Order: sequence, then structure tokens, then C-alpha cells
Amino acid sequence: MKSMSTVTRYMEACLLAACTLSFSQALALENSECMECHSDETLTKESTDNILQMELTKSLYVDEAAFNRSVHNANGITCVDCHADIEELNWDDDLPHAATLQPVQCVMCHEESAVEFKESVHMAMRTKGITMTCYACHGYHSVKQMASASVSERMDYVCLKCHNPYQSHDWLPSKEAHFANVDCVVCHSPEAPRHTHLRFFDLAGSTYYQTDSLMEKIGVKAKDFMATVDTDKDGAVNRDEFDDLMLRLKLKNIRTVLHAELVAAIDASAHGIVKQGAQKECSQCHCSNSSYFKAVNFVFTDPDGGLVHHEVDRSVLESYYVSHFYLLGGTRIKLLDKIGLIIVACGALVVLGHITIRVLTVPWRRKHSADSE
Amino acid sequence: MSSKENMLYVHPVPVRLWHWINASGFIVLIGTGFQIRYAESIHLMSLNHAITLHNYIGLIVVANYFIWLGFYFSTGKIRIYVPDFPRLIPQIITQVRYYGYGIFKGDPNPHAMTSQNKFNPLQQQAYLAIMIFILPAQIITGIFLWRIAGYEEYINLLGGIKIIDTVHVLLFFFFISFIIVHCYLSTLGSSMLAHFKAMVTGYEEHH
Ligand code: HEC
Ligand code: HEC
Ligand code: HEC
Ligand code: HEC
Ligand code: HEC
Ligand code: HEC
Ligand code: HEM
Repeated sequence: MKSMSTVTRYMEACLLAACTLSFSQALALENSECMECHSDETLTKESTDNILQMELTKSLYVDEAAFNRSVHNANGITCVDCHADIEELNWDDDLPHAATLQPVQCVMCHEESAVEFKESVHMAMRTKGITMTCYACHGYHSVKQMASASVSERMDYVCLKCHNPYQSHDWLPSKEAHFANVDCVVCHSPEAPRHTHLRFFDLAGSTYYQTDSLMEKIGVKAKDFMATVDTDKDGAVNRDEFDDLMLRLKLKNIRTVLHAELVAAIDASAHGIVKQGAQKECSQCHCSNSSYFKAVNFVFTDPDGGLVHHEVDRSVLESYYVSHFYLLGGTRIKLLDKIGLIIVACGALVVLGHITIRVLTVPWRRKHSADSE
Repeated sequence: MSSKENMLYVHPVPVRLWHWINASGFIVLIGTGFQIRYAESIHLMSLNHAITLHNYIGLIVVANYFIWLGFYFSTGKIRIYVPDFPRLIPQIITQVRYYGYGIFKGDPNPHAMTSQNKFNPLQQQAYLAIMIFILPAQIITGIFLWRIAGYEEYINLLGGIKIIDTVHVLLFFFFISFIIVHCYLSTLGSSMLAHFKAMVTGYEEHH
């Protein structure tokens, strides 16, 4: 299922890239041509295109390094794929393109996201005369790939730009803990698929392990991670396989703990944020069969910035190796319930036993007190 | 009823006050504790309410603990909890033999209560362990769970939130077990209700 969807996503991306690639090739407008002028930090223009409708100076500088790190550049999207109304550069003029360009339509390529966004509270603001653009949340020249981002990176990058969650959520116990470990959209877009991300944290180096750095410690190549760890070949790391892996790491003296977070999948449905639509029923998460912990993954970032997901059975969350993650009820350790039952039963049995013997020995006491009189 | 001369004043007001606040607090904590841990199968109240109630009552029990501690230490009465060491082991054996054998035969309780020495050595050691180690452990783990993010450093020093929670849960079961045995033992006074009455009025019937 999961690998299927990854494949189709990949194909979509390729198709997108292929279409746009041929499109831009036809125009043969290279990013470097734009950068001849737009790498100039002093390039500005006077513009009234702002909420105050005042004449303000707007910088036209584009940070090329940041653009080159963006998800769009990584997918072969060029300047003119977005600034699509520039069809050619007329080098004879001082200004080789129109002075005023059309607003960029993200929707051209991200129709699904736009559809989901239409239903959301952020779109509904239009009735109040405020238009929220796609790039109010995502930015535009440096849209990052978010799949490997931590909860706090995601929040800083998106929601916290405008909201202070401590001003709402009075009803929510342990707010700090929730905001540190649960992505805003996990609650606010309950339709969006979600994962529990498990990362190996290097206690000695105070960083997260990447696949290669972790695996090289036990003498395995990064690409052989699953082949080595998933010994029963069912595609997911189960509890026993996990314990084996941790033991191997321990034998090599590798001090690592697992950090877990609940994040939304990078999916268009993340946009469906509506008023009063958030998950408010604590017991949806905090119960042993919660659907929020179905998809658990080991997450590694690769040296090239890519992301590697390996499926993990949810029972791994019960392990004491995942000692920094515990969800009341949700990742309850079942063994403790059994031990508890024994503890309580012992108390009750001692009492019941004692009462029984006292009842049975009534004649003996009678005889005894008769004797002593 | 026996006259006042037969009565021994054993439980001063602060102890009685502490005790009944503590006992009712524990009942609520245990009820809400079950609701929190087994939210999928118990539906007494919403999880959110259970957590809020558990937190508030927990804080009351913590404050109340200091009534007990304050009373015993400020008056020096904590002495009643300090055993007579050389005789402790033989005394414990005698007391165990009484509960396990003598009581069935109709022997008198080897421990004679006085206001300076109100507990038999078994009670004394059990209560002392509970009040000095077990209840504080429950309180500290409870406070950590209440403000996970705020106490993150300490929690991590102790091995992580899962360890803290495991301790809290195991002690939770221990306290349930303790209360069952404790209530039963308190019916073993000179009459079924003698100890209970004493914990209400302060006076224990004396023989
Ligand atoms: C020869 C220099 C030069 C080149 C090459 C150039 N631009 Fe510009 N660009 C400018 C100047 C000057 C302005 C400011 C226009 C004004 O003052 O109205 C501008 C403005 C813009 C704007 C802002 C338009 C608006 O509506 O505010 C965008 C977007 C832009 N350029 C994109 C591009 C892209 C994409 C390329 C490459 C295909 C490119 N430019 C190539 C000089 C250049
Ligand atoms: C993912 C689509 C996308 C790509 C790719 C893209 N831009 Fe933009 N660009 C935008 C958006 C959106 C704006 C903001 C328009 C606005 O403010 O109205 C913008 C604004 C600009 C501006 C105006 C100054 C500013 O920062 O607001 C310039 C100049 C510009 N782009 C140049 C470029 C150049 C040069 C490249 C290629 C290196 C490029 N863009 C690639 C989407 C894109
Ligand atoms: C010319 C097509 C095109 C345009 C226009 C475009 N994008 Fe993209 N975008 C892509 C491609 C291709 C990808 C990479 C494949 C994918 O993830 O779908 C992508 C990926 C993304 C991602 C996913 C990042 C992640 O975490 O994986 C976001 C967010 C995004 N774009 C936002 C925008 C925004 C905002 C705009 C408008 C300013 C925009 N895009 C305009 C083609 C485009
Ligand atoms: C309120 C903030 C917000 C706005 C506005 C917004 N997005 Fe998003 N978008 C998100 C979040 C949150 C995600 C989920 C991933 C994440 O956590 O970064 C996301 C994910 C995406 C993705 C990746 C999903 C996928 O299927 O690959 C794309 C593409 C995207 N947005 C495009 C858009 C477009 C186009 C618009 C404008 C119509 C838009 N976004 C407006 C917050 C926003
Ligand atoms: C660019 C600023 C901006 C960003 C970024 C942003 N929001 Fe908003 N959001 C707003 C504004 C403005 C409103 C007010 C809408 C109204 O009152 O009608 C709003 C409204 C909301 C509401 C409804 C509030 C209510 O009154 O019920 C929720 C929920 C919400 N946002 C969640 C999010 C989440 C989650 C994110 C991150 C994915 C996010 N927002 C990102 C600006 C933003
Ligand atoms: C545990 C789930 C949960 C998490 C995590 C969460 N929220 Fe909420 N949030 C809610 C619920 C439930 C409401 C009540 C309104 C509703 O049903 O939409 C709410 C309300 C809001 C509101 C509207 C407040 C109002 O005045 O009505 C905003 C804005 C908001 N959240 C933003 C955020 C942001 C930003 C984050 C991430 C930092 C976040 N939330 C994380 C569940 C959550
Ligand atoms: C409904 C529950 C409870 C009942 C009915 C009850 C009853 C009693 C009674 C009758 C006594 C006096 C008998 C004696 O001296 O041994 C007593 C004493 C005591 N109980 Fe309880 N109890 C309850 C719950 C608890 C709980 C939850 C704790 C601790 C966690 C506790 C700790 C103690 C202690 C420490 C004493 C000795 C008090 C002192 O210092 O003088 N009790 N209890």
C-alpha cells in the first residue's frame, strides 16, 4: 500500500517535472539568465502592491543559494515555470520582461492542495477581505521539503508565523508536551494521514543518526538496513527484530535513544483546517487501540537531504528502548497491567484467606477460651 | 460504651484531618487513575475531565502530605515511627506469629497500645516506608507527569518518561493493594469499628 503510493507520487513528480522541463527547454530560459540581474542585492522597485497600498520599496533580490536548496529546484522547476508569463527575455531593453508580472499560480501544479485549501478556514477569510496566499505558509523561493522535518521545524516554518497556540487550547492538559511532540495539523486536519516518526538520537554526539552513520557502526551498508534488520522479511520491523537491533547497537557501545513524534503526512489533505474541526476527543489518541499509532516509521535523513522511511510495528512503541516517548493509554505497556493485577490480587487474597481461616477457626477459639476459663 | 478512663488519646487532630483527606483523595485518584489508563473500556467521565480531576486531587494530596510531615516533625512525634532497633526483629516475628497463628487461636495481641507507642512494629515499619519512600515516590513521579515539558531535564536524568510512568503505575497498583489490606487490618481492633472510631474521634479503647 505504502510503497504503491510512494511510487505514484514519484511518477506524478516525474511527470510534472518532465512537462515543465520540456516547457522550459522550449523557451530555453535558464535560471542563470534571470540571476544576471536578480542576484543584485540592491535591485529594488517602488511598489504599491501591499496591504497598506502605500508606495514602498520592494527588494527584487533572489537568494540563489536558498533557491537551489528548495524542493522546486530539486525537482527541476525553473524560474519561468512559476513566473510563467515571462516567455522570453528581450536583451535589447533595460528591462527584458514586463514591468508588472502576473501573480504566480501555485495551483497550476498543485491542484489537489488548492482544492483542499478552498474548504479551509484560511480560505474563508476572503469573505472578510483578507486573502491568504499559498506562500504565506510555504514561502516561495525556498519551499523546503518537509517530510523529514521535526514537529518544531514544521511549526516554526508554518503555523507559528501567525498563531500563538498558548493563547488558545486552555482545555488541553500538558500543552508544552503536546506542542513539542504533535504536529498542529495532526489535530487540526484530522483527515490527513499521520505517522509516528522514530529517530535514533546519538547521545554522545547530540544529533540524530543518519542511516549510514548508524549502520556503519554495526558494519552494514545503509541500503541493506531493512535486509539486515527485518529478518522475517515481512517489510516491517517487529518487536523482536527491534530488540535484536538495539542489542547489536549496545554490544558496539553505541549510546542511542529513540525520539518519537506524531506528524502529518505531506499530503494535500493537511490543508483542510476548519473552525471547530480539530480533534478534541483525548481518548481518540489516548487509548490502546488508537488509530493514531498505526503507522510507525524509523526515519533517517540521507546525506543528500532525502528521506528514508522504514516501516515499524506499533508494538515497538511499548519498548523501554523508546523510553522518551510515552502516551498515556496509547502506548501502554500491557505487561504492567498483568503485574498490577497480580499485586492487587495478592492483597485481596491475603485478606480473603485471613477471613476464611478466622471463620473456620471459630470452634477452636471457643474451645480455647472455654479451656482458659 | 466504655468510660473516658478506658480511652487512650492516640490520633491528634492534624493526623486525623490528614488521614481522611488522604483516604478520600486516594479513592478519587484511584478512580480517575483507572479512567485515564483504561480510557477505551471505562466510561465514567471523559478523559479530559479525568485528567483534570486527577491533577487537582493529586495536588491536594501533596499539600496534605506536608500536614502529616509537618506535624510529626515539628512536634517530634516522629519518634513513634522510630523502632527500638535491637528488639525490632523479635518483635516483628512475634507480631507476624500473632497475625498468622495466635489470632486464630484467640491469643491477645502481643502489642499493647499506648499513646507513645500506638503502632505494633509491623504497622510502624509499613507506615514509615509508605510515608517516607513510597508516597513521596508517587508524588514526585506524579508531579513530573503533570508537567512533562517543564521537568524534562529531571525526567531524562531518571531515564525518560516511560520509566517515570512505570513507577507511577506500579505504585498505583501497590496502593490499591495496600488500601485493601489496610482497611481489613483496621477492623481487627478490640471491636470491628474500634480503630475506625479512633481515627474519627482520636480516642482508642484501652484494655
Ligand atoms: C536585465 C536585467 C533583468 C533580467 C535578466 C531579469 N529581470 Fe526581472 N526584473 C528586472 C528589473 C529591473 C525589475 C524591476 C521592474 C520595475 O521596476 O518595475 C524586475 C522585476 C522582476 C519581477 C517583479 C515583477 C513585479 O510584478 O513586481 C519578477 C518576478 C522578475 N523580475 C522575474 C524575473 C525572471 C523570472 C527572470 C528570468 C527569466 C528575470 N526577472 C530576468 C531586471 C531583470
Ligand atoms: C515555486 C514557484 C517560483 C519559482 C520556481 C520562482 N519564483 Fe520568483 N516568485 C514566486 C512567488 C510566489 C513570488 C511572489 C510574488 C508576489 O509577491 O506577488 C515571487 C517573486 C519573485 C520576485 C519579486 C521579489 C520577491 O522576492 O518578492 C523576483 C525578482 C523573482 N520572484 C524572481 C525569481 C527568480 C529569478 C527565480 C529563479 C531563480 C524565481 N523567481 C523562481 C514564485 C516562484
Ligand atoms: C511548475 C510547477 C510548480 C509550481 C508552479 C509550483 N510548484 Fe510546488 N512543487 C512542484 C513540484 C514538481 C514539486 C515536487 C513534487 C511534489 O512534492 O509534489 C513541488 C513540491 C511542493 C511542495 C512540497 C514540499 C514537500 O514537503 O515535499 C510544496 C509545499 C510546494 N511545492 C509549494 C508550492 C507553492 C507554495 C507554490 C507557489 C508559490 C508552488 N509550489 C508552485 C511544482 C510546482
Ligand atoms: C495555513 C497554511 C497553509 C497554506 C495557506 C497552504 N498550505 Fe500547503 N501545506 C500546509 C501544511 C501544514 C502542509 C503539510 C506538510 C507540512 O506540515 O509542511 C502542506 C502541504 C502542501 C503540499 C505538499 C502536499 C503534497 O501532496 O505533496 C503542497 C504541494 C502544498 N501544501 C501546496 C499548497 C498550495 C498550492 C497552497 C495554496 C493553494 C497551499 N499549500 C496553502 C500548509 C499550508
Ligand atoms: C499567514 C498567517 C497564518 C498562518 C501561517 C496560519 N494561519 Fe491559521 N489563521 C490565520 C488567520 C488570520 C485566521 C483568522 C481567520 C478568522 O478569524 O476568520 C486563522 C484561523 C485559524 C483557525 C481557526 C480559528 C478560529 O477562530 O476558530 C485555525 C484552527 C488555524 N488558523 C490553524 C492554523 C494552523 C494549524 C496553521 C498551520 C498549518 C495555521 N493556522 C497557519 C492566519 C494564519
Ligand atoms: C491535541 C490536539 C491539538 C493540537 C496539537 C493543536 N491544536 Fe489547535 N486546537 C485544537 C482544538 C480541539 C481546538 C478547538 C477549536 C476546534 O475544534 O477547532 C483548537 C483551537 C485552535 C485555534 C483556534 C482558537 C480559537 O480561538 O478558537 C487555533 C488558532 C489553533 N488551535 C492553532 C493551533 C496551532 C498553531 C497548533 C500547533 C502549534 C495547534 N493548534 C495544535 C486541538 C489541537
Ligand atoms: C478508605 C481508605 C482508608 C481507611 C478506611 C483507612 C483507615 C485507617 C484507620 C482506621 C487507621 C487507624 C488504625 C491504625 O492506627 O492502624 C489508619 C491509620 C493510618 N492510615 Fe489509613 N485508611 C485508609 C486509607 C489510607 C491511605 C490511602 C493511606 C496512605 C497512603 C493510609 C495511611 C495510614 C497511615 C500512615 C496511618 C497511621 C496514621 C498515623 O500516623 O497515626 N490510609 N487508617
